[in-house]
Amino acid sequence: MTDSDAILEARGLHKSFGRGPARVHVLRGLDLRVRRGEFLAVMGPSGCGKSTLLHVLGQMTPPDAGEILLDGLPVPPSAAGRNAIRRRRIGFVFQRFNLIDVLTAADNVAISLRVRGLPADGRAEELFAAMGVSHVARRKPGQMSIGEQQRVAVARALAHRPQVLLADEPTGSLDSANAADLLALLGRVHRDDGQTIVMITHSAEAAAVADRVVHMIDGRLLDAPP
Amino acid sequence: MNLPLANILHHTLRSTLSALGIGIGICMLVTLSGLARGTLYEVADRWEQVRADLIAYPDIWGDNLTTLSGVGLPDKYAGVFAAEHGDLVERVAPVFLWHLKLGGQDQTVVGVDAPDADVVLGGRGLLEGRLFDPDSRFSRWLEGLLLAPSSEGDSPLEIASADLSAPSHNGLELVIDSRLAAAGGYRVGDRVSAAGHEWSIVGIVPAGGMARVYMPRRAAQFLFGSGDITKSTILFVRLRAGADPSAGARALRKPGVMLVQVRQYRAMLEQKFGVLFRYVDAVNVVALVIAFLFVMITLYTMVLQRTREIAILKSSGASDAFILRQVVCESLLLTGAGTVAGLAMSFAAAWAIETAAPLYTVTITGTWVLIAVGAAAAGAIVSALYPAWRASRVDLLAALTLE
Repeated sequence: MTDSDAILEARGLHKSFGRGPARVHVLRGLDLRVRRGEFLAVMGPSGCGKSTLLHVLGQMTPPDAGEILLDGLPVPPSAAGRNAIRRRRIGFVFQRFNLIDVLTAADNVAISLRVRGLPADGRAEELFAAMGVSHVARRKPGQMSIGEQQRVAVARALAHRPQVLLADEPTGSLDSANAADLLALLGRVHRDDGQTIVMITHSAEAAAVADRVVHMIDGRLLDAPP
Repeated sequence: MNLPLANILHHTLRSTLSALGIGIGICMLVTLSGLARGTLYEVADRWEQVRADLIAYPDIWGDNLTTLSGVGLPDKYAGVFAAEHGDLVERVAPVFLWHLKLGGQDQTVVGVDAPDADVVLGGRGLLEGRLFDPDSRFSRWLEGLLLAPSSEGDSPLEIASADLSAPSHNGLELVIDSRLAAAGGYRVGDRVSAAGHEWSIVGIVPAGGMARVYMPRRAAQFLFGSGDITKSTILFVRLRAGADPSAGARALRKPGVMLVQVRQYRAMLEQKFGVLFRYVDAVNVVALVIAFLFVMITLYTMVLQRTREIAILKSSGASDAFILRQVVCESLLLTGAGTVAGLAMSFAAAWAIETAAPLYTVTITGTWVLIAVGAAAAGAIVSALYPAWRASRVDLLAALTLE
């Protein structure tokens, strides 16, 4: 893979939490390349650092050392620079959906667009129609099923047309039927729209929808970058 | 729907209590200021209705006559002013001021000669009944007894209360204004007891004149001036048309006599009772500070309870300024609702006060409404700053992973 094929690249990432004897070294010199339009699944046991990797890639926390390149350019280390990346170029799907309880589904999408300074005109309706949840647009999260909530969360993550969609165990809170539906949805978004997706998962079934699966253990990837 | 409004509507009870806290503070500000200033300025308004330009009073009283009553300036100055400055002075009306308890509270009583009543009534006519001592029979009777040359050197006369109210020259008559009549339930023909005498209410005039109670000047002088009917409290001087009051006051100046313009009375009241305003304003400031501390605690609690929501916004790239705006906007919405409620409560309180105590005046002015709105907006922003800062410091990773 040439550098121009990589939309997201991590080089020598280190990340630790805590201080002194309680310090936990979670990422230990991790390297990763994600191709443009690739659906990558990252698997590994609990505590291996999968979610931390996703948070670092998603610019929610800076790495202690190492470098992240997005579309070939290094991500600025400043909080404002990382914030701008989150705002414009990254979409995030959480295991527990993380919808805002007091807002309707449509308003959850609209506020994520407003935060990004983008117009909300019709975008939520368009995405809800594509994801088969138009009927919940005026409902609040507490009035939706968990499957519907996760689809709305995916719609919110895609609303601003991010370059990379990061999904942190998106099926982790779903029953098997809803999980299958969601994976089919992600697969369709990847296939039809060429959306780059990095998905953390425990599940081999979930990972099966990805183009490529990498395994992680003790803060490093077992599989060498392609 | 925007997030601050959604949060306010979602937490109905907490939002209502917060808005109510603001509302009570705003209501206190507007109502107490309106009551203090309204009641005082209503007195000033009434004095400004007097058809005169100058007030003459003894200079030993200093530069503020607002609380003074009783024996003051010799009546002879009325003649002196008219005789010496006939080109300047159109009319002089001596007035004796005293206080009586009527309608449940102390009232300033104006003792005035019937022919001068139009000066203190500001030209108002009677609504009911008649003026006291209409043909001056009482005045002439008392003057005959006390001012006639034959009485000089005699021992003081003993005049019984019954003599003062003899049917042929009844001097114990009152005219009251319509507001006191309504508050006290008084009607023409009623007899009231005050200052140790029985008085007849003979007339009712429209509210807005100089005082609420009027009586014959000679009766006031005799009863409240220790029998000396040669002195009144003040003299109202009306200057001829086109005369400059300030120059007139200088021209009429005599040793022992102070002359001020009638329009200075409001400033004298403000000077005398300004401390009351400061006290009321201080109480209002304390009430508002408490109200906004309540808002701050509410917003701070909200921030602590909504770290996940804030983290979700930050995970979407929300800037610190965006988060700060959400909290300030929520504060402004709560305060806005509280201000509207507070103003509504103020008008209700004003109505209730004036209904329960008709002699009090609560004046809610546009200025004070604007002050209340401005104070509320400023308080909303200031009280939101710390919670907003805390919100902007939320660790999104900790908030989103501690599920």
